[in-house]
Amino acid sequence: MSAKLNKLKANRYFGIGLLLVMAVFFWAVFKILSPSNFGSANQMIGYLQTSIQYAVGGCGFYFIVVMGLFDFSVGANIVLSSIVGVLLSRYFGYWGLVLGCLICGTLIGCFNGFLYSRLRIPSMIVTVGLMLVLESVANYVITLDTYVTPGKLTEGLLAFNRAPWNYVVALSAFLLMAFLLNFTRIGTYCNAIGSNEYVAKNMGINVRKYKMAGFILLHFFIGIMALLTVSYGKGMLAVTGMASMERNFKPLMGTFFGVAFKKFGWPVTAIIVGEFIITIIFNGLVALNVPTTINDFVTGAVLLTIVTLTNRAPKGTVVK
Amino acid sequence: MVEQHKEEKNNAAAGLYLKPWLRNLMPLCGLLAIVVVFAFLTDGRIVQPRNMQLILSQVYVLMIASMGVFMIMTTGGLDFSQGSILGLTSIIICKVSQYNILLAIVAGIVGGAMMGAFNGLFHVRFKIASFIVTICTMYLFRGLCEYLTTNGPIAATPDVVALNQTWLKLLLTSIVLLIGFLVFRFTRLGMDLRAIGAGETAARYSGCRPQLTKFFVYVAAGAITGFAAFINVIKVGSITGTAGSQLETQILIALVLGGLPISGGAKANFSNIIIGTLTYCVLEKSLPMVFPVSATQQLVKGIIFLCVVALTIDRKSLRVIK
Amino acid sequence: MGEIVLRSEKLNKHFGITHAVKDVSLSFEKGEIHGLIGENGSGKSTFCSMLCGIYPISSGQFLLEGKELKAKTLVEANRAGVSIIVQEMGTLSGLTVAENIYLGNEDQFIRHGIKNASAMNRAAQALLERYGFGRINASAIIDHYNFEDRKLVEIVKATYFNPRIVVIDETTTALSQAGRESLFEHMDRIRNEGNTIIFISHDLAEVIEHTDRISILRDGELIDTVKTSDVTTDDLKRLMVGRELGSHYYRSDYGEPISDEVVLSAENVSIPGAVDGVNFQLHKGEILGFGGLSECGMHEIGKAVFGASYNRSGAVRLANGTPINSIPAAIHHSIAYASKDRDNESVVISDSIRDNICLPSLDDLAVKKVLHKRKLDKFAVKNATRMSVVMTGVGQYVADLSGGNKQKVVIARWLGKDSDILVLDSPTRGIDVKVKADIYALMRELSKSGKSIIMISEEIPELLGMSDRILIMRDGKINGEFLRSPALGEEDLIAKMV
Repeated sequence: MSAKLNKLKANRYFGIGLLLVMAVFFWAVFKILSPSNFGSANQMIGYLQTSIQYAVGGCGFYFIVVMGLFDFSVGANIVLSSIVGVLLSRYFGYWGLVLGCLICGTLIGCFNGFLYSRLRIPSMIVTVGLMLVLESVANYVITLDTYVTPGKLTEGLLAFNRAPWNYVVALSAFLLMAFLLNFTRIGTYCNAIGSNEYVAKNMGINVRKYKMAGFILLHFFIGIMALLTVSYGKGMLAVTGMASMERNFKPLMGTFFGVAFKKFGWPVTAIIVGEFIITIIFNGLVALNVPTTINDFVTGAVLLTIVTLTNRAPKGTVVK
Repeated sequence: MVEQHKEEKNNAAAGLYLKPWLRNLMPLCGLLAIVVVFAFLTDGRIVQPRNMQLILSQVYVLMIASMGVFMIMTTGGLDFSQGSILGLTSIIICKVSQYNILLAIVAGIVGGAMMGAFNGLFHVRFKIASFIVTICTMYLFRGLCEYLTTNGPIAATPDVVALNQTWLKLLLTSIVLLIGFLVFRFTRLGMDLRAIGAGETAARYSGCRPQLTKFFVYVAAGAITGFAAFINVIKVGSITGTAGSQLETQILIALVLGGLPISGGAKANFSNIIIGTLTYCVLEKSLPMVFPVSATQQLVKGIIFLCVVALTIDRKSLRVIK
Repeated sequence: MGEIVLRSEKLNKHFGITHAVKDVSLSFEKGEIHGLIGENGSGKSTFCSMLCGIYPISSGQFLLEGKELKAKTLVEANRAGVSIIVQEMGTLSGLTVAENIYLGNEDQFIRHGIKNASAMNRAAQALLERYGFGRINASAIIDHYNFEDRKLVEIVKATYFNPRIVVIDETTTALSQAGRESLFEHMDRIRNEGNTIIFISHDLAEVIEHTDRISILRDGELIDTVKTSDVTTDDLKRLMVGRELGSHYYRSDYGEPISDEVVLSAENVSIPGAVDGVNFQLHKGEILGFGGLSECGMHEIGKAVFGASYNRSGAVRLANGTPINSIPAAIHHSIAYASKDRDNESVVISDSIRDNICLPSLDDLAVKKVLHKRKLDKFAVKNATRMSVVMTGVGQYVADLSGGNKQKVVIARWLGKDSDILVLDSPTRGIDVKVKADIYALMRELSKSGKSIIMISEEIPELLGMSDRILIMRDGKINGEFLRSPALGEEDLIAKMV
């Protein structure tokens, strides 16, 4: 029986199958419990649209997390890139919006990566500082917006708020991610660095270069996510006091799915389906008239369960 | 293969020993430098008693909660759930205070301990990285917090609020810190924590019990924050769903400013808590005086943080910088 | 005399004060399988690591086909035509089989920055077929395969690009019979194609069967290079060990009786994958030596006695029947342990000498659970001085000390604890002569005062020189027992090890 299970696990489709089974399972649970307010085709589409936003961010995070790094400034990036996008959209319309988000994101990635490798401070700490800085910068940038309601995306620029363009953007991001992982060295090398940095270096991999690339990719994808976020939210406001930290964690959840299912070989799909599952659960609970405030509780519980079930540390390893 | 790495590390590490007492002094110098600079920039206003008191009023909760996280970080772990634990235990205290204040304090501590145990269980027993576990529990506890305050903030009884006296808060904070200091410095717990952070396998072979100790510090951190929640309650009087949010990041910044190495270990020093918290609170309070725009305050705070860390971090003892 | 393809000229390697490779000038011919043998610590692995760019060369050079070979990484060595199959795990988890094979060399599949993964997978699969490993799926994540299969992938990775020199370092021990056959087939093929194999192995029979010439290293020096057809395994053994036993070092007494009093016994101890039903008893005042090849299980026995094994079955008991099942229990019952992996297990390296010396004794040093710094300092200073640790003060970090001094700190902590039973694993590995002598003298002194010592060592002279009794292990079982005697020789021990 165990041998059969192992053989099954080695099959390429096991991971993706498991994820889909989970998605259907949760859908079924809530559908049965609350058939009238949950699970209709329209609603499912709504859930999908919500979740792809975070899945895009989750893709970006993947590069970093796989290498054992972290970045707290992701939320601040979302805010800043959104605001830059809105600002530029005032002058250049859609071009300004799209390019603003993407270029701002990429620049932030370069900045973060540069500071990380120059200062040689652990990523977790340096990005806390960067988060503070980026949040403040967003506050400055928004003052440059002379529109009557600064930060608000004008009606005519909401194409990405809905189908088909939001799907186009998200799908492009996913395809790009899959391409990078499967058809370039980046995917292999990020995995190698995360697996054993010392051996990877010895095999001739330029670890410094690829860590930098990881940051740039992370923030580029966040730039794409910002495009979706600002369109969904029809605008963005600047915050202070580390309030942007909140935005870090939804994409991260997807990344955790991706990393947990990495060994089955389908990280991108795992991220997408993972975010979808979380959105289903949340909306399912709302449909059960559970107050929306329970949202966070559920997210935390589901994630913890998934990580616990997919984690396997041999006896004697030191876990910090 | 590993030999080469170690050999070259040893040569680099030779420079390490230079002046350990100097290293301990750097965060203190940092604090003094900040106080001096801001005293100058605010024309001495910052050192006036009224402002000092204001600074102090922020210190209590942060310092007590930081003590718990300090112990966790000394062993090399992390805890992102403290803010949510503060919120939830504050709610418990408010509710139980309807019956009895002393009972409320105990309830807060016990509640915090149970939440800490939850963290400890998943980290120690199921071997999941502390970083992941505590991000999940941050959400979990925060969710409960928000759920319990769905119908509005939860208020503490007036007797509790009446306890909002500086002398009391100062006294309680000092007692807790003193106990923590004595335990850390004078019992084997302190040595165990530092050894586990410096080298968990070697610590195990030296007779430490890393699993048990790590579980214990998570429980302890929860309990300590549960106590800090009491001070939080008497200060704010009523608890909303966002109580304690960002606390964990504030703690992280404070401890790092205080000179605590991010991976803990033998260089962790109890003074990290005190100096770090003071530095953070001084910054928090003085920045608005110098830079009226809150965005600028934050920008300066971020830059100072990066500079302090870049200068004081002990790169040589980090094998691989992650 | 064939054509020389690779030569080393006066090659040296220093690790701190340890002179691991001494002026080795060795040559390898085209189209030969050249065996490289020697005891642990003879320098053969270090020599090959320098060849492959894993370690930097201290002095001397390699000349590959007349040109100097200076590889700083494995990939550079590969490009120059030199590769190695290492003893430990050489593949990276989380990557596919194909990615592992082509790691660092993906350029051939990359056009305009795009990696053609399916072409890479196809090429890798073709390679695997050619090698006869077709059942391994090139596009699968390598984690799905066990250690042996991963080793087979490593063989492909190291040889597919027709390197002129292939080093095979102690690989056969990891393989099953079938795996070994496969390896030997490929070795022959590579040799017949005109390339050279450097074959390192402890299995002398294997070496004689498959090599053309053999070089013997001892203590970092080249002893001789012989034609395989001219020698027998006995000749090799003699060449490997033929040294005078420097008796000024070790004990000079013989015939001292071992006490009857048993202080510790191991009953049917088994650890899956390492130890298989081992029974022995340790007597009071005895120095019990354990010897064998690196993977024989003796190191795991040491851990088992100290209560550090995770999945040990059977029992380890003290004389009064108390079972030892955890490290705190072992320490509490006066058992000490010095590990072979000094930096990770014997000392907390990023911590002070004082903390390290005091840690095992904290419960004893505490007065009603309270520790006084001054008392700890005094304790540390007293024991560090007893061992003559060269330091700037007990606050100094152990990371800064030399290997010998680190080991002194390790021993100092157990002296401080006054442990009655000491398990010392490779106590003098990588330590200079002076400190070695000190440690031996200390061991003698301790055993005379009634302490019992288990000494696990890969150095045969040490075992012969210091032990009252020697147990030789092989493949997880005890294979031979010898009593201390001047007539006992290295060949006797080696005979039971291999």
